[in-house]
Amino acid sequence: MEALSDEIIMQKVTEGNLDLLRILFDRHHKHVYNYLYKMCGDTMLSEDLTQDVFYKLIKYRESYKGGVFVSWLFSIARNNLKTHFTRHQKYHDPIEVLAYKKTEEIRERDEEYAQLQNALNQLNAQERELIILNRYNEIRYEELAEIVNSTPGAVKTKVSRVMKKLREIYLELN
Amino acid sequence: MNKEVYKQFIAEIPDYLEGKLSPERRVQFEHCVDYFPECKSELEAYKKLVHNLKKENPVPTDRLRANFEEALKLEKSKEAKVVPLEPKRNNWATNFLKIAASVALLIASYQTGRIMQMEKSNQDLAGLLEQSKLDKQMAMLSLMENQSASKRIQGVSFISEFPNPDQEIMAALAERLLQDENDIVRYNAFEALAEFTTTDFVKEVFIKSLKKEKNPSIQIGIIQSLTKIQEKKAIGPMQQLLEQEDTQPFVKNEIELALPKII
Repeated sequence: MEALSDEIIMQKVTEGNLDLLRILFDRHHKHVYNYLYKMCGDTMLSEDLTQDVFYKLIKYRESYKGGVFVSWLFSIARNNLKTHFTRHQKYHDPIEVLAYKKTEEIRERDEEYAQLQNALNQLNAQERELIILNRYNEIRYEELAEIVNSTPGAVKTKVSRVMKKLREIYLELN
Repeated sequence: MNKEVYKQFIAEIPDYLEGKLSPERRVQFEHCVDYFPECKSELEAYKKLVHNLKKENPVPTDRLRANFEEALKLEKSKEAKVVPLEPKRNNWATNFLKIAASVALLIASYQTGRIMQMEKSNQDLAGLLEQSKLDKQMAMLSLMENQSASKRIQGVSFISEFPNPDQEIMAALAERLLQDENDIVRYNAFEALAEFTTTDFVKEVFIKSLKKEKNPSIQIGIIQSLTKIQEKKAIGPMQQLLEQEDTQPFVKNEIELALPKII
């Protein structure tokens, strides 16, 4: 069962084998969590949103109509994040709190990672998302194009452009 | 270092790391790394960036898995209790049509079944009747051939079972009338045949019998039957009987009464 592709497993889930959702959770929850964490920089929020992604996976399993599973999963994650930001725009944390959080995170994690996170934070949300999905989650251009509603060619060009930009920021910070 | 070459070197870093450069470009690229420290540090920085990007970062707490398991359990219990049915719109007209169609189907199939059953039982019955008729005929014919006179009488009396006896039965009865040594058998055969006096076959048989029959009861019976149908061919044998010495006087009397009736 472990060797089956995500798509076949998800197909079986829609047919009623709910236990197989565990395999999909095991395979992907860290990726989803890290994507969300890199996008928002908040561990608690990332965990809540990840949880919500998998709740939705359970609840809306029947709306899966074939297609690449990761694309579907990350589309849900992406929408979750978007909904969260639109809903909470007016309740933004005061700037001091954000700054405090940042220093705390740096202390907790190793320096290099913090540098990278800082570099990522200087990209705009769209650029950051592409890099995280492509470079960190290793989602291929075809699927990435599906997630962000674009073409594989356009996505590839964008990713290499953003990579260059990120590298420059990263080098500056170093 | 040439600025253009440096720019190209930087642009080729991702492809180099992914092994997508052509062999010639690869050699040139590695040449740059070996000879220019800035190229080397650039490549190292990029590698570190990619490496850091792929690093497993913060890990979610166990709470995530626990909550997922709980949600899954809840969903499974729901699944077990409720059979998910597509909510169907209750359109009374389509429902009515559905019911009407089912009723029509029910009636139609019942009728078809009934007719088929009836046809089949009719066929069966016809077959059975045919079979029993044949059996009776067989019994009748074989009884008439029996050694015992009473069995032969029984066989002859079977004629009541055949409203339209076939040639075989008629022939067998005629044979009894003409050949049987027993008076009662002959009389019964006569009675059986008397029902069919109008047929030419029976007329012939009666006339033949009249010529040789000695039993007065049968003689009288035949004379009366033939007189009733005004059979002219009977006049000859009747006159013969009148002339015969051994004819009973009351038979002669009967003939004398009968002859004027046959015009």
